[in-house]
Amino acid sequence: MSKFNDRVFGLVMLVIAVAYYYGATQFPVPFGGSEAVGPETFPKLLAVILAICSLYMIVKPDPDNHWPVARTFLELGIAVVVLIAYALLLEPLGFILSTMLAVGTLCWRMGARPVKAYLTGLISGVVVFVLFTYGLELPLPLGLLEIH
Amino acid sequence: MFDFLIQGFGVALTPLNLGLAFLGALLGTLFGALPGIGPINGIAILMPLAYTLGLPAESALILLAGIYTGSEYGGRMSSILLNVPGDAGAVMTTLDGHPLAKKGLAGPALGLSAVSSFIGATIAIIGLTLFAPLLAIVAVKFGPAEFFGLMIFAFASMSAMMGKDPIKTLIGAVLGVLISTVGVDSGTGVLRFTFDMPELYDGIDFVVMIIGLFAVSEILLMLEHAFRHDQDGEMAPIGRVMVKMSEVLYCKWAILRSSVIGFVIGVLPGTGASVASAVAYTTEKRISDRDNTFGTGDMRGLAAPEAANNASAAGSFVPMLTLGIPGSGTTAILLGALMLYNINPGPMMFREQPVVVGGLIASLYIGNVMLLLLNLPLAGVFARVLQVPRWLLVPSVAILAFVGVYQLHSDLMAIYLMLVIGVFGYLLRKFGFSLAPVVLGFVLGGLMEENLRRALSISGGDVGILFQSNLSIGLWIAAALVVLVPMFAGKLKAKFLPAARPS
Repeated sequence: MSKFNDRVFGLVMLVIAVAYYYGATQFPVPFGGSEAVGPETFPKLLAVILAICSLYMIVKPDPDNHWPVARTFLELGIAVVVLIAYALLLEPLGFILSTMLAVGTLCWRMGARPVKAYLTGLISGVVVFVLFTYGLELPLPLGLLEIH
Repeated sequence: MFDFLIQGFGVALTPLNLGLAFLGALLGTLFGALPGIGPINGIAILMPLAYTLGLPAESALILLAGIYTGSEYGGRMSSILLNVPGDAGAVMTTLDGHPLAKKGLAGPALGLSAVSSFIGATIAIIGLTLFAPLLAIVAVKFGPAEFFGLMIFAFASMSAMMGKDPIKTLIGAVLGVLISTVGVDSGTGVLRFTFDMPELYDGIDFVVMIIGLFAVSEILLMLEHAFRHDQDGEMAPIGRVMVKMSEVLYCKWAILRSSVIGFVIGVLPGTGASVASAVAYTTEKRISDRDNTFGTGDMRGLAAPEAANNASAAGSFVPMLTLGIPGSGTTAILLGALMLYNINPGPMMFREQPVVVGGLIASLYIGNVMLLLLNLPLAGVFARVLQVPRWLLVPSVAILAFVGVYQLHSDLMAIYLMLVIGVFGYLLRKFGFSLAPVVLGFVLGGLMEENLRRALSISGGDVGILFQSNLSIGLWIAAALVVLVPMFAGKLKAKFLPAARPS
């Protein structure tokens, strides 16, 4: 089994540790002069520990984990995009419509038939909306459905 | 000395809190039973809701603690019936639980695990009631140097006990602390790692962090499994759920021993149900597996981990309530929830917040009885949630995560941050990291820096103060021992027992 993963991960962590250390050296001197423990002391300590650990990972890596195939990665990418779109559309479209779209798409991509998927989305959107707005009195945005 | 408990029962028996304890028990069992949800996700999803609803601190904690203890009950369902652990603490339950179900004893197995869970939890809650006030009295004497040593010990015992890879646990904890340093430095007011984004000035919000790290990464993981077309096993028929008295008596020593083991491991800071059930199972196997029946459906092999994981859940409240150091990943989140209410967990809590502490402990007693009453007759009903299709489960978690964060912030930035943290959490899990150390680091990071800073400003920058009192020296030695002993013990075992089964 290849041990590639942990080496790459260790390297990324090492880069983060160095960047984090560098970031800590750039802090302005706090008002009132420096003390025994300034804002940079603790982060520097952390960076050193992280660097040591990542070096260990590079030297003694674990065997690789099972990674999803490219197609699955595509589906995961779609899911993340759906979630971002959900966040973007939440206010303009309102909770019910955006939930229908987001949940519907997720259900569909996970193997439900499209009609069933979007119907599930609509129902769950309405149920959660009613539950929150009227049951718990925590209003959610109505968006397009708002009656002017 | 037990005034707090009497006062606590007064708090826990109000209709609102009784209702919340029941709701927590019910939802907890459901969350525990649903594959992939588990206590941490359940709490992460409901925490923002409890907060935005304006529940008082003790009521919110009663609800969330109910979910925690309830999901330790629920986790057994899918372990026994499907051979798929509902959460990390239920892995050992599959070893004998599923073989029992295959023998047609699924019902009694569910019943027995409910009874062992009840006994384990009861013993541990009594332990909590007795030990926590004593420990709180000792802990009042802790200075900043001792607290710093204690946190080092917490991380050390976690890396030693959790998972196969101490370095990954340590990296996870450091990453958590790293993330906690984002924002205004509380000591000097200097902005750290904010990349000039005003949204980050207050640091990364706890709820956003937890929901991202657990719920969102879980969504991605469940999606991945869905596309790999993982087949769940056939569900075993349940049959009679009532367990016979003789069956419980057959397991009595297994249950009692494992309850004590579970409680002790729960008390150790940083280690939770998964470690407790593993240790209890292997101990019980060593002591009573004379005919090599463990792993083939031995009732004792089921009772042991079940008693232990519930006992450890109650035990992990001890360090949380007395020292402000969480005993497990889940209590780390409960601790964060307390901080949302501006309650500083620590040795003064027993004195300053008797309502919260007493109410919580009293509600654990009440909730535990409720859980037994729910789980014995209704095991068959709960088992039905296992048939919830995956394509429905993932989007439901997604909605709840979104609504929770949106209600708290009404801010797209918070949701983006949640998604970024979610992808990060998913990657960490794929690289073989467990997320509990990350949360623990995130929750303890600020406290750790503050205590280090206070200790060093007392001594004028002399690091020697960290090793001055006997107590702090003891903590450092204990930290070194928990890391070194298993390492060498493992090496010795490998040397003398080359034929030992690979773990």
